[in-house]
Amino acid sequence: MSGPVAIVGAGGFVGTRMLEMAVLEGCMDVVPVVRSFRSVARAANLGVPHRLGDAASPASLEQALAGCDAVVNLTSGDPAEILRTTQSIYAAARAVRARLLVHLSSATVHGQVEQPGLADDAPPLLDHWMSYAREKGHAENFLRERMADGRLTIVVLRPGLIWGPRSPWVLRPAAELVSGTAYLVGSGEGICNLMYVDNLVRSIAAVVGHPANATGFYHLADDETTTWREYYAALAAGLGVDVATIHRVPGDRYRAGVRGLVEELKKLPPYRWLKDRLPPEAKAAIKLRLRLALERDRPAQRGASAGPAVARDMWHLQTTRYPPPTGRYRATFSLQNATSFAAGLAASLAWLRFIGLDERDGAPG
Amino acid sequence: MAGPESGRDEAFHSLRVRRMMPQLMVIGCGAVFDQYYRGALKALEARGMAQVLALVDPDTRRTAGLERQFRSARAFAAPAEAFERATPDLTIIASPPGWHAEHALAAFDAGSHVLCEKPMAISVEDAERMVAAARAARRVLAIGMTRRMYPCLAEARALLAAGAIGDGLRFVYREGGVYGWPVGTDFPFRRATGGGGVLIDKGTHVLDFLCALFGEPVAAAYADDGHTDGVETTCEIALVFPGARGKVQLSWSQPLANGLHITGSVGQLTLHPWRLDAVRWRRNGGAWETRVSPATWPCDLRPNGRRGVPRTYEDCVYYQIVQVLRALTHGEAVPVTGEQGLAVVRAVQACYGKATPLRLSWLAEAEQARADALHWSRQT
Repeated sequence: MSGPVAIVGAGGFVGTRMLEMAVLEGCMDVVPVVRSFRSVARAANLGVPHRLGDAASPASLEQALAGCDAVVNLTSGDPAEILRTTQSIYAAARAVRARLLVHLSSATVHGQVEQPGLADDAPPLLDHWMSYAREKGHAENFLRERMADGRLTIVVLRPGLIWGPRSPWVLRPAAELVSGTAYLVGSGEGICNLMYVDNLVRSIAAVVGHPANATGFYHLADDETTTWREYYAALAAGLGVDVATIHRVPGDRYRAGVRGLVEELKKLPPYRWLKDRLPPEAKAAIKLRLRLALERDRPAQRGASAGPAVARDMWHLQTTRYPPPTGRYRATFSLQNATSFAAGLAASLAWLRFIGLDERDGAPG
Repeated sequence: MAGPESGRDEAFHSLRVRRMMPQLMVIGCGAVFDQYYRGALKALEARGMAQVLALVDPDTRRTAGLERQFRSARAFAAPAEAFERATPDLTIIASPPGWHAEHALAAFDAGSHVLCEKPMAISVEDAERMVAAARAARRVLAIGMTRRMYPCLAEARALLAAGAIGDGLRFVYREGGVYGWPVGTDFPFRRATGGGGVLIDKGTHVLDFLCALFGEPVAAAYADDGHTDGVETTCEIALVFPGARGKVQLSWSQPLANGLHITGSVGQLTLHPWRLDAVRWRRNGGAWETRVSPATWPCDLRPNGRRGVPRTYEDCVYYQIVQVLRALTHGEAVPVTGEQGLAVVRAVQACYGKATPLRLSWLAEAEQARADALHWSRQT
């Protein structure tokens, strides 16, 4: 490598862990790039100088990426910005003559995976109901068109649910288990397509360190295939939650509850328009009133009496039928996952205990 | 001896003699002002309780925009220039914490009273200078510890004083979430300019809140995750108070199971971060009960004026400013004095003085060992 690796979107969950591993393991020379100063906070303990670069602006990014050999795009945020951000990062990577662009896409671009053996270069579903998946698909297609000219090595990685300490895919199920609102769709036999965050970071590092041009699309996942029932049962056991408190919801079709309707409402343009214009004090007051109206009396309703609020994204994820094959990645980059499901679970549970999620009714030990 | 009481008395007499609406200056018009103070000050102006006459910030584009919202206000780039042209009764300091002492001293020099945003200062020396300057100038120094206006605090104090949950109190106070404050610089993330990280930021509020419940603390132990060139994003403190002991956990980098939970010999008490007006409590073995606080605060500056209940943090900022203005107009007490603010600064610095590496139990052993070696307390 002729220069450091730029991590664009370093203030996110994966970016922060990648930065932390780079510092603690000394495995990579990295340059964290963030859109605004607030994103520095998450890894401010490490004392690594950040560069400011707005991923929606190629000119701003060019300065931030200057001197970097590889660019890793870990940006997240507003789905409507995904394509434009990807285009900007590609343009800036080209402008600074980077060797490699690693783009983190998502397994969700393929929906519920109805067939086994999904090809790595299978086209994404552009009519997906979820705007995040749809826009990730458009971003993939943009890069697919640029792969052919060979001016830049472009590696698109498609992990599943990135889990581990600090992951929303650990916190969300764990919080629902503790509050008695966790649920499984159908029998819970849907595939929980997990990718442990450390395995992902090492997978990215292997791509960066790969000497040859490996342009293409690659599925990524942990070695073990875990069902949602197994995942929830393992978390429940670690948190001391009785699995009998996990609700079952029908798997034939998604039924929107209040939460689902609120989520849909938030995506409407008038909602966003209003949100951008209301003064902070008005937003705080509305938020409080909604919360008082909707919030359950949690300690009183813990356990089986607390009903689940089924989210559309979770319902669809739980109906995934097949795991994506990861043979192409393994064969190309010669890397095996280092962290097993058991080890990842142990670390995740240690983190959940650290943040106090295992304490019943907040009682100190 | 000149103390806070004499400063309040002087303020009271001065404004009563002049019979004028209090005139305000704001130093620092960034994110804190925009999020919290702007709305409160507009409401105060609209209700004829105060007038903003000067807005000070080096970012002149920002103050130019604000001049349109505060018709009587003039914009200045620096405090010295502002104090030459304006004589405020009260100066609200919302600049970066490293500047608080300098700006407060300039305000006292100009004869103004001060409401200083938290953290009061990033060093004990600075905080002591501020308290001394207020005394010498016989002016009020109030610290913006907005949580003192939470009705749930009053209710928790009442329950504890009544022995509702017994004695031998133990507590856990967690406050964590991914940092989302729209800062305009990286000052808060450098030790030289921010003084520290999450402890000095969130911890200042949390320590003051616990002081209001339990009295003066002693930091028995403190651990954080800060490396040599960084500031802590997660920390834990073991605290001992008269009659209570417990743990505080704070984070900028991850969500925590937020809230204050107190366990006594005969019951439990819980304060949730978003529910400002109520507490939950129960006797051992009994059912949880929500107690809404009957506490109210003055809404205006009339001697026997209307009272209200703050329900959001933004409401609390409004009530806090009203209470500080009432200290100037009626000689009432401010929510938090400079001396109380100084006690919190001392507690924060005592923590830093005991800093050890935080054990992050999910890290691999080799990673934890490396983090320990890189910890800022281990560097010469």
